[in-house]
Amino acid sequence: METFDAVIIGSGAGGAPIAYKLAEAGKSVLVLEKGPLLRTQQDSPNGLSDFKRDELYGSGPEKIHTISGVANTGAAFYTSHIEPDLNDEPHLYSHNLEETPVVTIEGYTAQVVGGGTQLYGAVSLRFAPDDFRLASVNAGRQLPEIDLNSPDISILDWPISYSELESFYAMAEKLVGINGSVQGQLKPFPSGNFYQTPLPPNPISTHAKAGMDALGMNPYRTPLAVITQDHAESGRKAGDPKTGFVNRYGDPMGFKSNTWVSLLRPAIRKWPGRITLRCNCVVTHLSSNGSRVTTVHYRSPDGSRREVSGKIVVVACSAIESVRLLMLSAEEDRPGFGAKIRYEENDSLLGRYFLTHCFGGAEVAIKGKRYDKSISLDSDWATDFCARPEFIQQEKLWAGGAIYNNTSDQALPISLARTHRSTDLDTLWLGFAGDTGLYGDRINGWLDADFGTRLSVSFMANQIPWFQNHIRLSNVRDKWNRKSAHIVKDWHPHDGHVMRTLARYCEEILLKGVPGTTPDDIEEGSVYGNGVRIANHILGGARFGTNRNNSVLDKQCRVWDFDNLYVTDGSFMPTSGGANPTLTIQANAFRVGQHLATQVL
Amino acid sequence: MEIIELGSQHLFDLCTKYLARDDDSPRHSYFGAIPAGHGRFSEGWRFPVIEPHCDGDDATRASRNDVTFIYMAPPDAGDGFSVSIRGTFDALYVRTPLKRVEDSRYFALTVVLPAGCCYRYRFILGDTEILDPINPQITVEDNGTEWSSFFTFATFEPITFERWERIILDRLTRHILPFNTQEAREFLEREVGTPRPNHPYLHRFDISVGVVNFLDKLLAREERHQLPAYKTCLAIINRILRQRNPYLEPRDMPRDMFKLLYDEMASGNVPGWDYNLYSGPSFFLQMLRRHAWTGAFCHPKYGGNAGATGWRYLAERYKDADGNTLFDWARSIEPPLGRSTEYRG
Repeated sequence: METFDAVIIGSGAGGAPIAYKLAEAGKSVLVLEKGPLLRTQQDSPNGLSDFKRDELYGSGPEKIHTISGVANTGAAFYTSHIEPDLNDEPHLYSHNLEETPVVTIEGYTAQVVGGGTQLYGAVSLRFAPDDFRLASVNAGRQLPEIDLNSPDISILDWPISYSELESFYAMAEKLVGINGSVQGQLKPFPSGNFYQTPLPPNPISTHAKAGMDALGMNPYRTPLAVITQDHAESGRKAGDPKTGFVNRYGDPMGFKSNTWVSLLRPAIRKWPGRITLRCNCVVTHLSSNGSRVTTVHYRSPDGSRREVSGKIVVVACSAIESVRLLMLSAEEDRPGFGAKIRYEENDSLLGRYFLTHCFGGAEVAIKGKRYDKSISLDSDWATDFCARPEFIQQEKLWAGGAIYNNTSDQALPISLARTHRSTDLDTLWLGFAGDTGLYGDRINGWLDADFGTRLSVSFMANQIPWFQNHIRLSNVRDKWNRKSAHIVKDWHPHDGHVMRTLARYCEEILLKGVPGTTPDDIEEGSVYGNGVRIANHILGGARFGTNRNNSVLDKQCRVWDFDNLYVTDGSFMPTSGGANPTLTIQANAFRVGQHLATQVL
Repeated sequence: MEIIELGSQHLFDLCTKYLARDDDSPRHSYFGAIPAGHGRFSEGWRFPVIEPHCDGDDATRASRNDVTFIYMAPPDAGDGFSVSIRGTFDALYVRTPLKRVEDSRYFALTVVLPAGCCYRYRFILGDTEILDPINPQITVEDNGTEWSSFFTFATFEPITFERWERIILDRLTRHILPFNTQEAREFLEREVGTPRPNHPYLHRFDISVGVVNFLDKLLAREERHQLPAYKTCLAIINRILRQRNPYLEPRDMPRDMFKLLYDEMASGNVPGWDYNLYSGPSFFLQMLRRHAWTGAFCHPKYGGNAGATGWRYLAERYKDADGNTLFDWARSIEPPLGRSTEYRG
């Protein structure tokens, strides 16, 4: 059988950094990616990218759910061209096991070389030091709407500290290509500042900054994985990255620092022959002999069965799909692989403590002023005000979060309509289509009020790790006749407390920053009790820890009872952190990659 | 006919997500709206795959497309398997073979064709001609002969709707969209009167920014599963309008008749509506609202937003005190439609 030093499943934030580090160390690496390789203009022989500045790429035409036995059979859905067809590969979701699930696009990560880093808004915040030690921080505390000693809540300190990860944050910032500013951040930068210089903010963001300043929030320029200057590490030339085609769009120019243009492509060029990239290849399951994974079973681009082996195997195909792959592998061989990963044992933690983020904010349509939001990146200003230990103590929160303003949302006419009154990706278009009072003159009035005027400020905060929130296998089959993932997830009441508190501060920012605005002008809220909102930050389910009784993975993200199986996407996180997770996934993958290159292979 | 090679990597990128599978059940038939055979594949409407063509000359990008035909051989097809194609993109008697993509089940042929045109084709297996098993677009000739069919970018030839259907759609979508005000109509008339000789997408005859043409193409391809709903509802609406005013054609009926019909459909209560044929007039109206908005502001290659008129309307409506636009769409969009100096479309 064909054998590599490492087989890495997934080419996004959790996989590409490991491929980079192993190739740098001279190892042979196979990257298996389920999705296509969509070319930038520079990659393409005819100079045309496979990504387009085209609103129908961000969310395409209507499709209809045809999966039976779910609550939304017959309903419409809209996906990007690089998200899965939900009738082929459904994710099921319910708040609890009694509720009939729905099929959802929330929580799916783009299936393409680069994974989620192709479509994301590129916000690349570090986690705060206390995000890594929330068990210690909360020892002995009494908090509203939660008993921290409850057996179904499990808050773990990470087995690594902020200072242990810090140099890898710096490595990620340098190699990936990120612009931003350090001053104002709560996080120390002892390894140095590798940010590129941010571009001038969109003028609408002035209001967000003014509000943050007025509240003493010490804002800084939101770190974004977009190059603003030539980036020697990846061989990219800077250009003009500011368009309305930002979040949910791949970048035809390669300015957005997805893991293809920033890590895999440079590594393939720098170290020829070390990385083999096979796209359009879905891994169906792993098989093992004793404590070693021996074979990776996958399908070639036309669906033919293939097998390959690696001295080590790294699973990094996004939290839900990674946990599902481990469970499917366990079902193929319950006494062997299943026992090693403790699948469906009473105290099994595989799939448990699934996490996303407490997420919400405030939004206003600014009166009397208008801005060209189509010349923007995803965010301009951020603040760590709500991540400060004294703030967390004062507000009686178990953990804090980051706040930043959104600049690119609703910047274009179709996105303005399809997100009108929608609460998540499953409800795109419903608001506009059903708001039948908007037509003719009234639609002009709506445009006058909302086009180029809407300013939103969002928070991203830790979610309580709760045993009942988990990933399991469903009996609904995908197009390969494999069981689909079923996500069972609800919000803990204390999550509601966190979200109400942070949403209030977001509202304050707008009240202070937008002259003449009153609370009646502001829409303020969160995902608490509202829609699916997995929010595409899918974390946990295979948490790492200090012993096999509290975790699935060890400190190096190795599955406890396997010698050569690692999981490095967001599923490793025991707590979700008070910020968007991608940079932390990348930093941790660099850390694991370095460990594998120097200690294992 | 110009044949080009796209390379196996790109061909796989076009195919795998939509075609590769073990389960052959009609997951994508949308409860029978797409024939079960075609409903085995995800987004069969993407085939043949139509992409912009570029050979270094900006002008050709808008006027020609790369069209890639894909045939997926059975799993047990041996080395001797072959498939060819004939169609109106070449002399009809010419059979052109598709090439196997590496050692896969995919066979492919890419040809460069003019944009703005409709084409018919059939695959040939041995002595048997068959329709494309993936592409659900089928054209039936007057003599009953069936062909697989497709159209390239910015096609304006009607495909889906009859003239009377297009008129009703035009009246209804005008009522929805923001272009019916006096100010907007003056803008549109100025736009139509503005010569844009280098403009590849402008369709000057379509004052309602090409929305009906967008619908005509959308219902042929991407949202073909909603075509039965459109056909049924347009027939019901036509009958209701003619019952309400037997003396005027729908195109000449006063705007108030469409306003009343719109309001009735929004409420779900339309006197004279045949609820046995289609139970949800409000559902149809909501779908039409989504389609109309998309057609008004999509990229013009989809056949709507002709000459970027929808974008130009917003750019003119929203300006700062110095007269600079506050929707500078052209800055990001490829020339000759826009003026990006980096992005090539």
